[in-house]
Amino acid sequence: MKTFGLLIACAIAACAAANDTFFIRGVDVYPVTGAEMKGVSVLVQDGKIADIGAKIVAPKGMKIVDGKGLRLYPGMIDSNTELGLSEVSAERVTVDTGELGEFMPQLKALSAVNPESEHFPVVRANGITSVMTFPASGGRGGRGGGGSQYISGQAALIHMDGWTWEDMEINRSAAMHLIYPSIASRGGRGGLANVDFADEIALLFAGGSAAGTFTEAKRNYETQVAKLTEFFDNARQYQKERTANLPGFKRDLKFEAMLPVLEGKVPVAVPASRERAIHDAIAFADREHIKIVILAPQELGKEGPELKSKNIPVILGRTEALPENQDAPYDYAESLPGEFYKAGVKIAFGTFNNEFSRNLPYNAARAVAYGLPYDAALKAVTINAAEIWGAGDKMGSIEKGKWADLMLVTGDPLEVPTQIKALYIKGKEVDLSNKQTRLYQKYLARP
Amino acid sequence: MRNLVTALLIFCGCAFGADSAAIAIRNAKIVTVSGSVIPKGTVVVRNGLIQDVGENVSIPGDAVVVDGEGMTVYPGLVDALSTWGMPGTAASGAARGGGRGATTTAAPAAATPAAPPARGPEDRPSTTSWIKAADEIQATDKRIESARSAGFTTAAVWPTRGFFAGQGSLVDLLTGEKAGEMVLVPSLGQYISLTRAGGGGGGMGGGFPSALMGMISYIRQIYLDAGHYQLVKDAYAKNPRGMQRPEYDRALEGVLESKRILLPANRWVEIDRMIHFAAELKQPAIYYGIREGFEDRSVKYLKDANATVLISMKWPEKARDQDPEAEDPYRQMLIREKAPTTPAVLKKAGIKFALYSDGLDTPRDLQRAVKKAIDNGLSREDALRALTLSPAEIYGVQDRLGSIEKGKIANLVVTKGEIFDDRTKIEFVLVDGNKFVPAPEAAPAGGRGGATAPSGPNGVKK
Repeated sequence: MKTFGLLIACAIAACAAANDTFFIRGVDVYPVTGAEMKGVSVLVQDGKIADIGAKIVAPKGMKIVDGKGLRLYPGMIDSNTELGLSEVSAERVTVDTGELGEFMPQLKALSAVNPESEHFPVVRANGITSVMTFPASGGRGGRGGGGSQYISGQAALIHMDGWTWEDMEINRSAAMHLIYPSIASRGGRGGLANVDFADEIALLFAGGSAAGTFTEAKRNYETQVAKLTEFFDNARQYQKERTANLPGFKRDLKFEAMLPVLEGKVPVAVPASRERAIHDAIAFADREHIKIVILAPQELGKEGPELKSKNIPVILGRTEALPENQDAPYDYAESLPGEFYKAGVKIAFGTFNNEFSRNLPYNAARAVAYGLPYDAALKAVTINAAEIWGAGDKMGSIEKGKWADLMLVTGDPLEVPTQIKALYIKGKEVDLSNKQTRLYQKYLARP
Repeated sequence: MRNLVTALLIFCGCAFGADSAAIAIRNAKIVTVSGSVIPKGTVVVRNGLIQDVGENVSIPGDAVVVDGEGMTVYPGLVDALSTWGMPGTAASGAARGGGRGATTTAAPAAATPAAPPARGPEDRPSTTSWIKAADEIQATDKRIESARSAGFTTAAVWPTRGFFAGQGSLVDLLTGEKAGEMVLVPSLGQYISLTRAGGGGGGMGGGFPSALMGMISYIRQIYLDAGHYQLVKDAYAKNPRGMQRPEYDRALEGVLESKRILLPANRWVEIDRMIHFAAELKQPAIYYGIREGFEDRSVKYLKDANATVLISMKWPEKARDQDPEAEDPYRQMLIREKAPTTPAVLKKAGIKFALYSDGLDTPRDLQRAVKKAIDNGLSREDALRALTLSPAEIYGVQDRLGSIEKGKIANLVVTKGEIFDDRTKIEFVLVDGNKFVPAPEAAPAGGRGGATAPSGPNGVKK
């Protein structure tokens, strides 16, 4: 009886081991961080890349994958999504992206991630093995929450596979999502892409717009900045009291969550579309001595040297986008990544979306067509993202010791016709079927 | 009976005339508009009418003589689409939106009691077609004095709120006690806008119609209803016995008694749309706004339709206190730049037009607005015509107004210098023969706000 139990235990262990241990033979490896290696073998052991080389041989009994004629790339990383937090954005009960309140640093997106989300299989079917999932402002579920939000919580870096969110976790606090105030006066650029329509509406309902003057908007902005600064001051005061461990010290979750930010361990991720907003956000980070990542800029302006010299990374939005206003050039979105790259800024891509997260490689590809060097585009969806979000030592490239987040593909992953033959997350092969393939099969079978 | 009435009328006329002394302006330059300029001539005014005008006109013995040496006499200016005197339209600040030209007339400021949201055309949403400006006008409105200081003596005043806002009236800018004295023509037609009467909002909770297609369909429905209403009414009037009495509908009554419609058309696409719409409704139409009248397409559409237009003089301007880093869209900048060329462009194309104040009411703003059209290619003579004889012709009162001719109403502006120049001083204006002298601070160059004090021996009527 005892031996039988032991046998079962062994069998389970063997199975588990076999699950994330294998050998790929004769594959072209594109490590991203180095030159490509043609026709080599890769040994994956316990979910990690154990060895790469032309001469290594598979240990006896190990599962062997034939990589002949195929390429091996690291899995891609989408640097901004709401994956796991929002299923159908219009359906309230499926949305858990955020909470109301001005300062909500204690909220962890990770704990809200639903591993059963139908989005995960769809997204990873295109070679995306991990994503940043961001808490959004203002409790999307309940409309009209009112008031602006400054901090919406901690964004998490997660793997695209797992039974629980704990399985999926890479970095539960990869960034603090901070919405820095902006001068929001009407008129001019930004906001409505379809100005003709707005024109028409303005004409129909004359006087309906709460235009607001620049003076007003500026005053509003200054009040908001003061509020945000005060919160940081209070957090810093808390930090002092905590260190001093004074009697009667009361723990506060919000300030507790701010400590890693104040210590410079966790960056704030700040959406900033206009040049002025980028400038203001950087100035704020300087004042507070905190690390910052800029999200979804719409222009570079004169911010290049500052971003470069201060080593501030930038997460670019979708290049598959319409020009943001009627006067913008047609290639507005496509050429932006190239401009940032040429300014020497470290870039990564985010889709800022769930439904189109799967198109991450094609967003990068479009940027290549408009001036971003190919290598930089590939890095932007792999190693750069891993480094920006604090996991550069574990993922983002094919190197010894890193997780085996790999995709085995028929060609260049940034090209649409390329097929994914196999996808591995931490050495475990993941199912590439998803809702879309199921629907495809279903309707294919229709008489 | 009829003879008696006529006799009474004549008697009244005489009695009226007996009270009123003549005014003669001599040795003045007279710009008649209808004819050639008289370099040195005399105008004689009596009983509110121009008794005589010419180079060699005998001055009646009882006339108060004004020496017009160095002065120029013009016909009084006519605002072709105005809200002066209409209650609740004074807030010119509210109308100063963005430079995009969102408002066509002064936005309504007064709050009206909320009505339940309309469910469909049967509820006649935002419709006050029976309202006549003549019945609403307030002679005490400060803007009347202010506009008079700018040389305006007459205005086509319109109710401007709602889809069928009501009927406009042609009034002389008097500040008497009785508004009735002001009225020249009680009903000029129907003002149609695509703006809800309540001003802002729309959409949510405003009820039908909340979108442009609903508004257009509503206007269509009203004209269908009006046609049917007329048929049933006629049939009933002919033989009421055995026929169900048609229900009285004041909205349709108002529409039926309007002899022309004013349609909003700023952009070229709207101009095209509204020309087709007017043809479909089979209504004589005047198009107002015309901010994109400078576009080739606009000109073509207007020319092909042989249309008559009223051009807003509130030229689109850059929004004040705008974000210094904001860049306006090219189209907006283009309209801002080109809109003031519209009068010159339309003149060249031979399209009939008049200019209107569109919420402007201070002498300074009005003078600048006209000057801007002149600076953008409109000749001085054409500018003057667009503010005198043209509006008179458009409204069919050219036999009474718009030029200095014998027998016409004595609405005159007397200036030192060319009218519309910023340094020109308006000496006095005559409205129905009544003399008004602009208060010194209200002279065109003098800045905002202004009051005209009636003065002189014949200043105050009665």
